[in-house]
Amino acid sequence: MEKNVNTSEKPAGSGSKNSGGLLDSTFLPPFSLKGWLFLLAGVVPSLIVGWILFPMVLYSSQQQPFNFSHAIHTNPDIGIEGETETEVCLYCHSFRDDGTFAGIPKLETCLMCHEDPESPYGDTEDEKIFLERYVAEGEEVPWLVYSRQPDCVYFSHIAHVKMGEVSCTTCHGHHGQSEELPVYKENRLTGYSIDIWGRNIAGYKVNPWDSMKMDDCAECHTETGHEENNACFVCHK
Amino acid sequence: MEITRRNFIQLIAGGAAGIHMTPLPWKLMDDTAIWTQNWSWVPVPAEGRFHHEKGVCQLCRGGCGIEVRMVDDRAVKIEGRTDYPVNPGGVCPLGAGGLQLLYNETIRFPGPMKRVGPRGEGQFAAISWDEAYTILSARIQKLRQENRPEALAAIDGHPMESTVGLLVKRFLHAVGSPNYMTMPTLEDTYAVTNRLMFGTDGPMAYDLENADYILSFGCGLIEGWGSPGRVIEAWGRWHEGGKKSGPKVIQVESRASNTASKADGWVAPRPGTEAVLALSMAHVMIQEGLTDTSFLDSHTSGYENFKNLTAQYTPEKASEITGVGKDKIIAVAREFGKARSPLAIYGQGKGDLNGSVVESMAVMGLNALKGNIDKPGGVILQDPLPYSPWPELPDDPIAREGVSRPRLDEAGSDKYPFAGSIVGNLPEAIMKDPKGQPVDTLLVLNANPAFTLPGAARFRTALANIPFIVSFSPYTDETSRMADLILPDHTALEKMEDTGWPTALQYPFLGLSTPIIPPLVNTRHSGDAVIKLADKVGGPVKEAFPWKSFEGALKARLQGVADVGGLTSYDKEDGPPPWEVFAKSPDVTADYEDFDEFWENIQESGFWFRPTHDFRAWSSHFKTPSGRFEFLSDLVKGALQETDAAEDDSLTLVPYGLINISTGWLPSPPFLTKTLFDTQLRKGDSMAHMNPETAAKLGLREGDFILVTSEAGEIKARLHIFEGSMPGVVYLPFGLGHTAYGVYLKGKGSNPADILKGGEDPISGQKTWWTTRVKVSKA
Repeated sequence: MEKNVNTSEKPAGSGSKNSGGLLDSTFLPPFSLKGWLFLLAGVVPSLIVGWILFPMVLYSSQQQPFNFSHAIHTNPDIGIEGETETEVCLYCHSFRDDGTFAGIPKLETCLMCHEDPESPYGDTEDEKIFLERYVAEGEEVPWLVYSRQPDCVYFSHIAHVKMGEVSCTTCHGHHGQSEELPVYKENRLTGYSIDIWGRNIAGYKVNPWDSMKMDDCAECHTETGHEENNACFVCHK
Repeated sequence: MEITRRNFIQLIAGGAAGIHMTPLPWKLMDDTAIWTQNWSWVPVPAEGRFHHEKGVCQLCRGGCGIEVRMVDDRAVKIEGRTDYPVNPGGVCPLGAGGLQLLYNETIRFPGPMKRVGPRGEGQFAAISWDEAYTILSARIQKLRQENRPEALAAIDGHPMESTVGLLVKRFLHAVGSPNYMTMPTLEDTYAVTNRLMFGTDGPMAYDLENADYILSFGCGLIEGWGSPGRVIEAWGRWHEGGKKSGPKVIQVESRASNTASKADGWVAPRPGTEAVLALSMAHVMIQEGLTDTSFLDSHTSGYENFKNLTAQYTPEKASEITGVGKDKIIAVAREFGKARSPLAIYGQGKGDLNGSVVESMAVMGLNALKGNIDKPGGVILQDPLPYSPWPELPDDPIAREGVSRPRLDEAGSDKYPFAGSIVGNLPEAIMKDPKGQPVDTLLVLNANPAFTLPGAARFRTALANIPFIVSFSPYTDETSRMADLILPDHTALEKMEDTGWPTALQYPFLGLSTPIIPPLVNTRHSGDAVIKLADKVGGPVKEAFPWKSFEGALKARLQGVADVGGLTSYDKEDGPPPWEVFAKSPDVTADYEDFDEFWENIQESGFWFRPTHDFRAWSSHFKTPSGRFEFLSDLVKGALQETDAAEDDSLTLVPYGLINISTGWLPSPPFLTKTLFDTQLRKGDSMAHMNPETAAKLGLREGDFILVTSEAGEIKARLHIFEGSMPGVVYLPFGLGHTAYGVYLKGKGSNPADILKGGEDPISGQKTWWTTRVKVSKA
C-alpha cells in the first residue's frame, strides 16, 4: 500500500519540475505535460460527443407525409386572405365556436378547396399524394406537429392571439411563408419535436420563436408586463 | 509510453470535465424529466376536438344534469350542468366518477352470456342475443303451458314511474305473474306517507330553498340525499362567503355525520326513537300555541286524537326514551314553531333503502301543525306526472288467472295493505318451500339484492334455490354472478332513459337522458330486450307490446306530459332560479307547439318542467276521503309500540351511507375508494365507529379487529373510536365488502347488509334495517 503511494507520487513531483514556466501556475494542478495531454485526450472526445454526436443520436429525422407549401396557400391570389397576417393564418388554423384552437386543420378544412380528387389542384407530386392517398380515401393526414406541448401544459391560443394580440410569428416564426416543411426531428426520449427545445442544442436563441420551453413563455410574460401569468397554476392546471 | 494509473484518471477526469462543457448533461436531465411524463402507463387523454355532450345522471334517483367533456369520441370528464334546473352546476362524487362505470371493461359483461361453471363461480360463455332470447322465452312459454306463470318473478331497481320498470311490470302481467317487485327505497316510504296523509299518489315534494327553518330527520343533506347536486349546491349557497344565510338547519341523527357536523344544530336521539322525538316536539308546539289553528281547523282531520297521542310524550318522557335532553326538545320545538316557513323533512341517510313510515308520518305531523303544507317553503301537494296510459293488456285467460294469484312477497295483501313490494319477504317465501320452487325464473334489473338488500346473506341462500336467474346487469355484480343467463343492459352513458321526477324536488319535472356515446360492447337496452322477449314469447304477450322499441313505448307515455304544457329550456344567466319562479307561481305556457317539438326539445335539453303551483288549494289537493290532511294517530300509535328496543347488553348496529362511494346497485368507481379516509376503510377492513365509553366497557381499543355478530351472521371489521358515535351503538358504512367485481372493489371491507336483521315496518311491512341487535367482540 505504502509502496504504491510512493511510486505514484514520483512522477507527479518530477512533472512539476519538468513543466517549466508555461503550466507552472498556482491555479492549475501540477501535472506533467503528459498529464495535461491525457486530460485533453479526455476532454476533446467529450466535446465531440456532447456537441456533435449527442444531438445526432437524440433526434430522429422524419419526413412529413408530403410537402406542404405555406407560401402557396397564403398567396392572396388563391383566395385565402385576411386583413392582417393573423387572419390569414386563421383562415385554416381556426378557432372553434367554443374558442378552442383547432390546431392543424383536419381534412374537412382542406376539402373546402380540394373537395374533388380530380380537381386541377393536383399538379405537383405532393398534391397527387394528398389527393390520391388522403382525399380519395377520406383519411386524415398524419401531420407531424412541430409545436406540440406536453399534456401537463395548458395553453390557450385565444388568450394570446385575441386578447394578448400576439402575432402568430412571435412563437411560430415565418413558418407561414415557408415553401417547404422542415424535417421533423423528434426527440427520442421525450417524443416531442426539436422545435420545443430549439434547433440549437445549447438552447441559444436569437428569435423569440427559436424555442418554446417554459422559460420562453415566462420571458415573454415578463417582458410584456404579465408577470402574474408566470404562476405555476396558470399553465399547469 | 507508459500509461500510469494517474494518466488514466486524468483521461477520465478530462472526459468528465469535457462533457460538462457540452449541453449533454443539462439537456439529458431535462429530457429525462419529460420522458417520465410519457411512460405508456401514465394515463393521458387522447388528442382531438374537445366538445361537451349533455345528459342526465342515472346513477341515483336524484336526476342531476350532467355535461360530459369529450375528446373526439372519448368521454373524459363528467361535470354538473349549469343550465339544468335541478342542480345548477353541481354533481356528486359518484356522478363525477361515472366514467369508470363505462370504460372499466373488467367489471362489465361483453355481451349476452350463459353460465357454464357452477353457479356463483362467475364462469360464463358468450352466446348470441337471439340464443339468449330463445332460452328465456322457451322457459316462459313452458311456465305458461304448465299454467303457473306466476313462477316468473322480477326484482327491479328502476326508479318509480321509470318506463323500463313499467315495461318489465307489463311483461310480467302479460305473461301472468303478479310477482313484479321493486327494490325498497326511501321513495316507497314517501309514497305510503303521501297516500295515507294526503291521499295522493304524487311524489314527495319539499320546497327546501324557500323554507327558513329545516328540521331534517336523518336526511343526509350533504351526503347524497335527494338530488345531491341540488341540495349540496343549495347548502353551499346558504354558506357562501363564510356567512350564513338561508334557512337554519337542524339535523336529527344519532351519529355526528357530515350533515350533523355542519348543520346549525344537531339533535341526537337513540336510533329508532326519532318518531317519539317528533311527537314530543309536536306536544310542545301544541302546548305553547305555536300551531296554525285555522289550518288545523279547516284542513286536517283527527287533530284531537293527534293531540292526545302527543300528550303522552311530554319532553320529560320523550327525554327518557330518546336520550335527548328535555330542554333541547323544547328549544327546537319552539324554534320550529316560531319560524315563518319551517319545514320538517324525513329521510334515512342517502335514501337508497326504505325508511320508517311511522317516523315519516310523525315528522309530517309537525308540518301539518304549522300548516306548512302546499305553501312556498313547505311540503308541496303534487300529483304524479300526467303520463299517458298504455293500452289495456289483451285478454288472456292464463295471464288473468296467474295475476290474480297471491303475490309471493304478500305486498298489497290484508297483511301489508300499504306496500307495493316487499323484496325482503322473498327469501322466506322461497325458503318455506324450496322444493316447490315458488319462483322458477327470476329476472333482476338495475338491482344487486345479493349485496344491497338488508339481510343479503339470507337472500343469497334463497337465490341459490331459484332454478333459473336472469340478470340484465351490465356489471359482474354479486347477483349477476349467481345468474344463469345474462342479458346485459347498456350502461348509463350509452342509453336513452327517462329519469323521472328527482327525489323530493318541489315542482313537476321529467328528466330524459340521451346517449353520450354508442354502446362500447354488445349490450342491449333493457327496454328493447323486454319488447323483443315479448315478441319471442308470442301470442297475447306479444300483442301486449305494440311498440317496436323502448323509444316508441316512452313516446307513447310522454304524450300526456307534453299536453299539460311546460318548459324544455332554462336560462340560468338571465332568469331567477327555478325555486324563486316556482314560489311566485307564474303562468307557464309550453315552449313548444306540439308533441314533435316537445320530443325534439326534451332530447336536446334533457328535461321538461313546470315551475308553477296552485298554492293553498288544500280542499282540492288533499285527496283523502275527508278531503283533509289525515293525522292517522291510531296508525301511528299502533306502529310506535313496536319500535321500543329491548334493553340488554348487546349493541345496536346502525349502517350508514357515504356520499363518495356507491351504496346502491351500482359498483363504486375505483377512484372513489381512494377518497375514503382510514377511519372508514383501513387497508382491507371496514372501520366500525364506536363511542369511547362503549369501547372501554367492552375492553376494546383503537384499531382492534372485531367481530360484529347478529342473528343473521357475523362480519369482521376494525374499530375506530369516534366521539361522534352514540354510546351503545356501532356504526358501519354501506357499500364496502364486495365479493364480486375484481381487484379494485373485491375484498375491501365488510358489507353490513349481510348481517342486518331488523323487524318489519308495522305500516309498510318493509324491513326495519336501520337498527340490528349485535354483539361485538375482539376478533
